Amino acid sequence: MRVVPSEMYSDLLANLQVDRQNVNQDVLEASSGKSVNNLSDNPVAAGQWVVSNAQIADVDQFSYSISTVQGSLNTADSALNSVVSSLTQAVSVGTEAAGGALSTSELQALGQQVDQIQQQVIGLANTTYQGNYVFAGTAVSTQPYSATGVYSGNTSVNSVQVGEGQTASLGLAGSTIFGAPATAGQPDLTFQYLSQLSSDIKSNNQSALATDIANVQSSLNNVIAQRSSYGDTLQQLNSEGTNLSQEKLTLQQYQTNLVSADIAQVATDLSQSQTTLQAAIAAAGQVTQESLINYLK
Amino acid sequence: MGSLTGTLSLAAQALEADQGALQVTSNNIANANTPGYSRQVAVFESAPTVTEGDLTFGQGVTLAQVQGIRDNVVELGVQQGLAQQGQVNSYLSSMNQVQSLFNETQGAGLQTPLSNFFEAFQNLSTDPTNTSLRQAVISAGQTLASAFNQAASGLSQVQSGLNTAIPQAVGQINQLTGQIAQLNGEVQSAQNSGANPSQLIDQRNNLIEQLSGLVGVNNITQSDGTVTLTTSNGALLVAGQQSYNLVTGTGPSGNTDVFSQQGTDITTNLTGGSLGGYIQARDGSNGVVAAEQSLDQLAYSVGNAVNSQQEAGYDGNGNLATNEPFFNLPANGSTGTASMISVALTDPSQIAASSAPPPATGDNGNALALANIENQPLPGLGGQSAINYYSNFVANVGTEVAQATNEQTAQDLVVQQLQNQKASISGVSLDEESANLIQYQTAYSASARVVNVINQIAQTALTLGQGS
Repeated sequence: MRVVPSEMYSDLLANLQVDRQNVNQDVLEASSGKSVNNLSDNPVAAGQWVVSNAQIADVDQFSYSISTVQGSLNTADSALNSVVSSLTQAVSVGTEAAGGALSTSELQALGQQVDQIQQQVIGLANTTYQGNYVFAGTAVSTQPYSATGVYSGNTSVNSVQVGEGQTASLGLAGSTIFGAPATAGQPDLTFQYLSQLSSDIKSNNQSALATDIANVQSSLNNVIAQRSSYGDTLQQLNSEGTNLSQEKLTLQQYQTNLVSADIAQVATDLSQSQTTLQAAIAAAGQVTQESLINYLK
Repeated sequence: MGSLTGTLSLAAQALEADQGALQVTSNNIANANTPGYSRQVAVFESAPTVTEGDLTFGQGVTLAQVQGIRDNVVELGVQQGLAQQGQVNSYLSSMNQVQSLFNETQGAGLQTPLSNFFEAFQNLSTDPTNTSLRQAVISAGQTLASAFNQAASGLSQVQSGLNTAIPQAVGQINQLTGQIAQLNGEVQSAQNSGANPSQLIDQRNNLIEQLSGLVGVNNITQSDGTVTLTTSNGALLVAGQQSYNLVTGTGPSGNTDVFSQQGTDITTNLTGGSLGGYIQARDGSNGVVAAEQSLDQLAYSVGNAVNSQQEAGYDGNGNLATNEPFFNLPANGSTGTASMISVALTDPSQIAASSAPPPATGDNGNALALANIENQPLPGLGGQSAINYYSNFVANVGTEVAQATNEQTAQDLVVQQLQNQKASISGVSLDEESANLIQYQTAYSASARVVNVINQIAQTALTLGQGS
């Protein structure tokens, strides 16, 4: 085969370029710490990167939603805690009145105590979180309970997404907690019972007091039972929050595997491709300048 | 019976032939680095013999011709290799621009604005009456719309760059075909007059190689020495001494198209060379126009889904949001959506977060439904969610660039191989020329010696019979 110098030079040049390209790619990977710096470096990984990034954004949002919802639920929960102690107090006031041998003025005082408790509970039922009434159902902008305890909220409750396919309901409507009246437009049962208790104490209607106390006690039991759903939801949110942090870690780990450069490997590759480049450059210097023409005399 | 004068003229003819060969050799040496030069060889032939009686004498040597050494098959291979190389080079450089617009690994692209937009609805669902969360939804929508706008304008810049590059390439093609046609004439007349056309053919091949880098050509060498060139899809470029200019103009799709001299639109199926690469990058199945359509489809599907969900809900003022679309979208079809999409809502209270009429102002049903559009299969996206559709789009762009890069590497090697093969046949080897130099020099010296000997014999003959 004929070999002409131009072949040698063009081969040399082409090889040098390939070697330089390899060095560049290795330097890029080493300096960015990523093996995927362009979509074309690994199209499948780039596609997965997009999807997992979106998943991470979802997870972040769910975590954020959880913290917002927790704020609202905690407020409602502590309001209900106060309601429980208020109603407990009402029961003991009722029991005291039912004990008999009390003067009219003492009974009046006890009746007023029940009235105060009623006002306290109505105030607690109108608790707000960041300007929204937490026991108004979804009619959060208007005060749900009138001074007499008539409910003007609705019975719907918002659910918030707190994970892929996971929702948490944002508490309960006031009427579920305080008992919807048999006739619309009347105060909720708890408040009816409190009013009844108060008036029966004041009028010393001893025969009715036992029923009144039992009614208030059943309201109290209902509040305690409903309050437990808040505890359940808060617990669900806590464990969901832990799941989400775990999921985020997994996703981040997945992303690292997708696009991260294996630094040890890159360092080895880099030193190899540098050696190759140096060898090619040395070879270029050695391309023989010898030719038969040098020997013509 | 041979004569002294006959021998003398034979030797003189040999001197002449050797001189000619020396000239061919020194021309080769002089052109050792001339691009496209094919080495030439002196072809010696023994002169016709003379028969006198029973004896036949040789009449010496003639330099019959000077022949250029080339292999047409390899030359055609080089031309085709260059055409494919030119195409993949210009295709890749355009697709690289497209890739950089969506380089998610460096944070460019639509994933973040798309996610943020839906997360803003998700966030709103936790507190639907909160004005600042509503405002955040509008801002996220504006960011998403402008991300679509920017991507679309980036693509349209690549597209208009291609529309500008096409006439430039066509201008160069026309210039080259003109020169090739002229050289066709010169080769033909050199061949007719018996002159050596080798260097003209070299020049012509050089120009055809340049032409191949611009557009793929079919090359047929005619018996009169001229070449006929047509484009890959058969449009005539050069025949004999006549060249046929390509022209550019606006095609049916509003892009710059290429027309034959007869006015036929030959853009489709025009392959090879940078021109082929430009057309592939613009009109190809994964080219810029296709990317624009995908982006439009994505913007349109997302925009429509958001609009219809928004219009099904109740806004912050308790009104059914029937006439309050979230995005402005084109009236007919998806075309151009990405470049024109914008947020129609101006007031945070217009967002329809509630799915129930008043007083349920705090209902979040519709906000949740809007947030969930993110992961729902959308009509127009082939049953995929917006993120999955976009992720496939991104992976497609990457795959296209990766394939073109591999093809470029392979094609560089092919061209390198072919050019080496061509050089090995036609290139000048200084060793070989030096050997020839020695050979012809020796032959010249020998013939000169013959002249000298004949001269001495002639002297002897002239003084024959003179006593000394």
